[in-house]
Amino acid sequence: MNRLITFERITIEPPLEAIYRRLGFRKGLTKIKPDETRALGEGIEKARSLITLKGAARRLPILSKDSRLIRLPDSHCLESTHLAKLLAGSQEVLLMGATAGAAVIEAIRRDTADDNLAQAVVLDAAASGMVDAALDWMEAFFAQDLRRESRRLTKSRFSCGYGDLALENQKLFYDLLDLGRFGVELTERYILAPEKSVTAVAGIETTG
Amino acid sequence: MAKGQRKFLDIMKKRPLILDGATGTELQKRGMPAGVCPELWCIDNPSVIASVHGDYARAGCDVVYTCTFGANRFKLGQYGEPDARSVNRRLALIAREALRGKALIAGDIGPMGHFIQPFGELDFEEAVAAFKEQVLGLLEGGVDCFVIETMMDIQEARAALIAVKETCDLFTMVTMTFERDGRTLNGTDPLTALTTLQALGADAVGCNCSTGPDDMVRFIEAMKPYAKIPLIAKPNAGLPKTVGDSTVYDMDAAEFASRAGALIAAGAAILGGCCGTTPGHLAALKKTVARKKPASPLRKSLAALSSARKTLLFEPGRPLAVIGESINPTGRKALQEELREGKTALARQMARDQEMAGAALLDVNVGVPGIDQEKAMQEIVLALSVATELPLVIDSAKAEPIERALRVYPGRALINSISGEREKLRKLLPVAAKYGAMFILLPLTDKGIPETAEKRAVVVRAIEREARKHGFTRDDFLVDGIVMTAASNPKAPQETIRTVRWATETFRARTVVGLSNVSFGMPERKWINTSFLAMAAASGLTAAIANPASEELMFVKNASDVLGGRDRDAAAWIAHCAKAAGGGKKGAPIEALPPERKVREAILDGNREAVAGLVGETLKAGLDAAKLAQEIMIPAIVEVGERFGRKEYFLPQLIASGETMKIGMEALEPFLKGDLKVQRGTILIATVKGDIHDIGKNIVALMLRNHGFQVVDLGKDVAAERIVREIDRHRPQVVGLSALMTTTMTQMKEAIALARKQGEQCPFVVGGAVVTKAYAESIGAEYARDGVEAVSVIQRITGTRV
Repeated sequence: MNRLITFERITIEPPLEAIYRRLGFRKGLTKIKPDETRALGEGIEKARSLITLKGAARRLPILSKDSRLIRLPDSHCLESTHLAKLLAGSQEVLLMGATAGAAVIEAIRRDTADDNLAQAVVLDAAASGMVDAALDWMEAFFAQDLRRESRRLTKSRFSCGYGDLALENQKLFYDLLDLGRFGVELTERYILAPEKSVTAVAGIETTG
Repeated sequence: MAKGQRKFLDIMKKRPLILDGATGTELQKRGMPAGVCPELWCIDNPSVIASVHGDYARAGCDVVYTCTFGANRFKLGQYGEPDARSVNRRLALIAREALRGKALIAGDIGPMGHFIQPFGELDFEEAVAAFKEQVLGLLEGGVDCFVIETMMDIQEARAALIAVKETCDLFTMVTMTFERDGRTLNGTDPLTALTTLQALGADAVGCNCSTGPDDMVRFIEAMKPYAKIPLIAKPNAGLPKTVGDSTVYDMDAAEFASRAGALIAAGAAILGGCCGTTPGHLAALKKTVARKKPASPLRKSLAALSSARKTLLFEPGRPLAVIGESINPTGRKALQEELREGKTALARQMARDQEMAGAALLDVNVGVPGIDQEKAMQEIVLALSVATELPLVIDSAKAEPIERALRVYPGRALINSISGEREKLRKLLPVAAKYGAMFILLPLTDKGIPETAEKRAVVVRAIEREARKHGFTRDDFLVDGIVMTAASNPKAPQETIRTVRWATETFRARTVVGLSNVSFGMPERKWINTSFLAMAAASGLTAAIANPASEELMFVKNASDVLGGRDRDAAAWIAHCAKAAGGGKKGAPIEALPPERKVREAILDGNREAVAGLVGETLKAGLDAAKLAQEIMIPAIVEVGERFGRKEYFLPQLIASGETMKIGMEALEPFLKGDLKVQRGTILIATVKGDIHDIGKNIVALMLRNHGFQVVDLGKDVAAERIVREIDRHRPQVVGLSALMTTTMTQMKEAIALARKQGEQCPFVVGGAVVTKAYAESIGAEYARDGVEAVSVIQRITGTRV
């Protein structure tokens, strides 16, 4: 059950609505001209060509839990009242990690250095949107199997640094998901590099 | 014809073939607890699964699936069961005992839960081997046919199908699971799935699970015009809904059955039910379709290639396809070097470049002497399968690299090429047939290249006769016109054109040429190449191996499509011209406006290209530089900030305007006199130690500069000690710090504390995704939510508000 599953290439369409939202677009308020829409589309396409989404996931049984502490195999545990609440009905967790790769980050750096910040923010938002969508994709992948097991994922997921789940837990995610295989590094401040790399945990519940 | 196929076809001549319904939900209803392995539970509780099988047979299902959906070594291994073959055998035997000939038994193969190369880590051959364990067990248990179902990865479906086909010749159905957007989770659309799987030997293809029957109608409709084989629709009982702790489906038996007519009209000849359906649903379905005769497949053959995500149809009226020729080491030292080192980065880049330039297919050749070409071909094909959506053309003089490529390629590829040479025919035709590849028919023999079109036609017919023995039709190959160098034989180009014309008009096949050989040894080769392309296109050419980076060539190709009636409404031509003209550039501001208004409009519009010229124009018209800055440009950028605050502008517009302002101010700067050049103050900004996320800080820097501040940007990952040193050096009016993460946010506190300890009294402004106003106050700093607010806060602190 706890075998690491890796995805060498996650192929998804850029989540346009989420990317626009990240860029501050508000429906009914923000006005965009056709040439701006076209330029934005080209920026998102450029991001797509630079992004290689890779991911890893691992199902782990919850050995025990209380209102604060979730115990996992091999003496691993996660400490967070918020997460414990999310996992109240769960018997397992699904750890997930995804990265957009280094090329898009390098392009953002280059555009910033070349005074093309407008392009850099579009690449940045597109990469954030796509790496987040990669987690959605992984959830959909597992949901298929779980349905046949009379199980399902919790409606939301949780990331290190949210609420009271300390960012230091990133180390546990990093190790269990073997994110190093994708060239992702963990800094001494528990930040994943390249920048557009994320991890998350969702609960697995039994349905009636 | 597959073994047992006649039985299936006979039923479908009269009415749709009926598959069974859901097994998992039925088992749960009959006592299977959640969380157990269904396959192992059924072995322990054979009477329960036998009752499910029996109920589906009694409901009128022609085919009942064994309960082996997850009976592969990976999934069983998770429950400690090492013997997948035995589990499959036992479950097939239970089905056989339960059904006793009342329905046909399909050996059910589901996904393994792991993605296969190139989309995942699992080795393709390991996947095939794992599926073979299942196939062998199911055969030992006596199944009548196979079904590979609920596949979301075309490569996994291929691995399973190859496992079945290499083990037996039973009738095999394959069904994929499509999301509502019409693609599998891994991005394959219905037509592409059909193209790949029917070429590989599936006896019926379709979809299961997915959403409900309504969405499935679209998926079947997309396949119908191109199907050589029966299509399958096995939908869920509507859409899943969560009610309390349970997942329920919204269609009862009558409603589910009522959708069958639409599925048959769409092209389905095989129907069944997936999640949420019951024997009741299937009984209702059977009753509804008892007198409905499904349509036979529309095709006997299909000229189409596919990648994992895209299909290229060679149909009349389709544009001429350019086959990108770059991924070939001949004459390309960098690529030779990369292939020797076992790398693929350059090839991937070449693939992307050719795709952007308009190629429809990519030729792949790894012919470097002294390397393991089989291995190199496999690696490059796997790498390109994810780097590009374009189908691949497998180009090798040797049979082995071609076979290796076809085995792992997650689509239907084109072989370049099969000639009339005895050895080539003997080795390559069976390989092409096994993997369902199309091929370029090269009309040469062991005696050499026939000089005239007439002699080439004889060879074409001879190769076709051999190909037919392996099941190929004229839709499965493209005849190569054979391009020879005009410099060495002036008559050669004419013979090529005559061969293309004969193959198109008389032989009724598709054609291809390797274009650039015609101009070898000539100066200004591009003109020879493009002229030759136009001549060949006019003679009916289907595809050309060429360089899509050649602007002239792509214009001629697109023009030929318009003139040859292959570009309806000239839409592709117009798009090509717009792209070549670099569309998307902002137009000049309205001419009627006075020059200073044009500057203002340029800033509001973020018109970076025009602003410097407009500033010059305004100064030339006599407006004072200081007045232009203070009365036109600064108010314009302030208005941009206000529009951003009201959400009328979003980030790209804010920044485009900011960058326009910066360019405008740089153009104005030489004309500003003495005191007007004085800055509003110096601001020191940094992203704190440990943090690498600095795009927000960069936006703040741009905004501040545009409002007249001098910005000293220390960059990212800046230690507190350096921040304090730089404060001492630059004496800024304000220090801005940013951090994105909770672990790095604390560095802001450290920097401020260190500054205070060393007697620095300058104000701090902090911001970043996790930073709040309360946190800022707690560390003795001001807070700014974004770049616009940062400007406002700093203007307030420095008393410089406009």
